[in-house]
Amino acid sequence: MATNTNTIIGRDTRVRGRLAGRTDLEVQGHLEGELAIEGDVRVDSTGTVAADIHARRIVVRGAVKGNLTGDESIVLEDGARVVGDLRAPRVTIAVGGLVRGYVETGLGGARSSAPHKSAAHHAPAKAHVAHTPAKTHAAPAPAKKEAAKKDAKITLAGGKTAPKPVVPVLKKGTKGALTKRR
Amino acid sequence: MASTIIGANITIEGEVIADEDVVVQGTIRGKLTAKDGVTVEAGAVVEADIHGGPMTVAGSVTGNVTSSDRVELQSGARVVGNVKAARITIADGAHFKGNVDMDV
Repeated sequence: MATNTNTIIGRDTRVRGRLAGRTDLEVQGHLEGELAIEGDVRVDSTGTVAADIHARRIVVRGAVKGNLTGDESIVLEDGARVVGDLRAPRVTIAVGGLVRGYVETGLGGARSSAPHKSAAHHAPAKAHVAHTPAKTHAAPAPAKKEAAKKDAKITLAGGKTAPKPVVPVLKKGTKGALTKRR
Repeated sequence: MASTIIGANITIEGEVIADEDVVVQGTIRGKLTAKDGVTVEAGAVVEADIHGGPMTVAGSVTGNVTSSDRVELQSGARVVGNVKAARITIADGAHFKGNVDMDV
């Protein structure tokens, strides 16, 4: 075996629990629980992970439900489906990578190289966040709040409150969708 | 080729269920179930009940071992627990404490 220290969760394997250690991890099967790895984590196209992942570098081609924290980088390749937040100095989302969650780049170091990359890659993430949950979940819950706000507007007759609801309502919708999904 | 490898520097606390071969080089605490072969390599630590097919143990196992096939305790293996299998071999230099249950 050439890759002696690596860990591979095979295609027909399910792991439930806590994984910790200094190794590279490749997930082709199913993993549920908690992941704290001082190494690279790769979720293959057949891999499904229901866990928060903390690792040096994270590459995703499969499905992940949980927050990803990369000490160096996160790369979502074609076929990646992630429901959760992404935090790393560098975050890359390739064409075909789907995300529903909050993305934050440039934590700590590597901030100087991050800006133009993150700007370019932020766009698709936001696009995905915007279109899926907003339509389905924004409608029922915030409707009452909007009504309440309209009532308040009438009594106060405030001009500046008028444009505000649009943005928060969208954000609440998406966040609500996230928490509901979990 | 083994499909699932638990590397040397990793600890799994929980349950591993595999429909394929499993090679353990690291640490597992909890439960290990495999449909096929299980190999516990030298240096590996398994504190779990193991169920599976043909097994080869060269590392440390604390827990009951159940195999549908054979169990091979190699030199340097350290097993504390009961072993139930169709065939069992214990090599010279293997440490073993527990019951053996074979189909006699």
